[in-house]
Amino acid sequence: MNARFFRGGALAVFMSLACAMTPANAHKLRETGQTFVVADSDVTVTPSRDWNRLNGKVGKRTETWTLDGEQLNDITFFGGIRAGDPLVKERSKKHEPLPKFTSSTLLVEVPELLEGTYRTYKELAAFRLLSVEPGSFLGSEGVYFTYEFTDVDQLTRKGEARAAIIEGRLYMVTFDAPRLHYFDRTVADFRTLVDTAKLR
Amino acid sequence: MSRISWLTAICATIFASTTPLNAEPAPAPPPFAGFYQPQGVDEIGWWREDDESERRLAASPLVIRDEKLSGYLKEVLCRAVGDDRCNATRIYVMREPTFNATMSFNGTMRVFSGLLLRMRNEAELAAVLGHEFGHFESRHGLNRFKAARTGTDVLAWGALLASMGPSYDTRRTYQSMEISVYGNLYRYGRDHEREADLLGLGYLNKSSLAPQAASHVWQNLMGEIEASAVAKGLKKPKFNAIAFTASHPPHGERAAYLTALASPDSSTRDYGAQRYGETLAEWLPTFLDDQIKLNDFGGSEYIIANLAKDGWTATLWNARGELYRTRGNQRDLVHAVQFYSNAIALDDSLAIAHRGLGLSLFKTGERTRGQQALARYLELAPDSDDAKMIQMMLPQETPL
Repeated sequence: MNARFFRGGALAVFMSLACAMTPANAHKLRETGQTFVVADSDVTVTPSRDWNRLNGKVGKRTETWTLDGEQLNDITFFGGIRAGDPLVKERSKKHEPLPKFTSSTLLVEVPELLEGTYRTYKELAAFRLLSVEPGSFLGSEGVYFTYEFTDVDQLTRKGEARAAIIEGRLYMVTFDAPRLHYFDRTVADFRTLVDTAKLR
Repeated sequence: MSRISWLTAICATIFASTTPLNAEPAPAPPPFAGFYQPQGVDEIGWWREDDESERRLAASPLVIRDEKLSGYLKEVLCRAVGDDRCNATRIYVMREPTFNATMSFNGTMRVFSGLLLRMRNEAELAAVLGHEFGHFESRHGLNRFKAARTGTDVLAWGALLASMGPSYDTRRTYQSMEISVYGNLYRYGRDHEREADLLGLGYLNKSSLAPQAASHVWQNLMGEIEASAVAKGLKKPKFNAIAFTASHPPHGERAAYLTALASPDSSTRDYGAQRYGETLAEWLPTFLDDQIKLNDFGGSEYIIANLAKDGWTATLWNARGELYRTRGNQRDLVHAVQFYSNAIALDDSLAIAHRGLGLSLFKTGERTRGQQALARYLELAPDSDDAKMIQMMLPQETPL
């Protein structure tokens, strides 16, 4: 009787804890017009439409926003990757190391760094850089680039990214979406959002 | 017969059944049974599923649609297994950077681009294709499916019966049975691989190509795995240990028995290195790039060095430069400059080598030389993807 009570009690405590924890852990709405700090960094953005901030992180100093789920549209902010760090968390530092951002990485090599990270992490070969152009990002000189890749789900996705190296740290925003329909539908919203990015 | 000799006989039988290959050269394959159609409900069902999967595969963005390349692979398969047999299969080349090839129930063969990069000649490719064809001819997929179904049926009934007598003994007996059934299923799979190796060598011994190449494939793969582990600071892998869940026999064992199975009087036969090199030349830079960007320094270095055994080319020097520049330590950049320069010395029109040289020089502080190399890159490839970005680097750095 006591044991059963204890088990029931434990379950109740667990359930109430789970309920209490849910709001803190859940994905967050990023409402229009408000300014938000992203990726635990000093970068802020002011969305002109509502976005969802996903709870999961792909790496240190990253944050992911989406509209319909990360498979369909995925904006990832990289808020100041330090020299010696990979872009996303490594599955195994020893066995499957990822390419690292280094203090000697040139701006023109940033697209290659993202390419190498995607290829290594996803073990894919079908990745193509489409364009690499100079541009301005976070008030500094940066690089704008576009790419295309086919993931293991055999869906071809397009991507667009902007990056800058400021005081030895890499700041970057990427937008990935399926080439069919989703990319073209949301890319304008992505550009509007990235145009509002500022360093505090 | 005494008890000991009985035991010896039993052990010998067990040993023989787990290692079906002896030191004799592989016998010629059985006569070809001709055009095959699936038999029975299981096989008909699987073929139907595979037909559907093949329809999707034919439209997949990962398939490399190069008639010359897939035509050549078919030609090599026919040369290995004979013209009568090879028409039973379709080959699809997949843009996947890993070492693999698969064969499905209905004769759909998928060959990964990573495998093509690692082969050095036609005979090595023929050995792998012949092995895969061996799976198809012996209906290994179907047999494995049936074995897995029987095994899991036994376990399901076992679990039901064990639940009726809930004692420690019953539980322990069930767990032993579980381990035994799964262990046997994995071993059954490995034996299929050995059988396919035997068949593959049987085809090769009969063909016009050198069967010794089969063993070279595994020796090279072991070399690559070891180089990769060393560069990552890992322990040297054990090439003769069999893991419980291993799907294939260990590489060391395969390399050894494949040498023994090759008919000794055929070692002077053609390896077809030139034909292979000529056909793959167009794809080699792409496949090398795919490998280098996987961030496996040791493995990539081994593959490049292995390909360079027949002579360094501008493509190979450039690939080595890219590999070192990608890793990007200062010491690597100095080497990268040398490798790019070697590539340019062999072929000055290789634009990508000038790019790599320029970027490496920039990073080692030699900006003026770097700018000269980048300017040459733009001269050779004015419409490249990153032309504007590179262009912007030049005037900015010139005053310095």
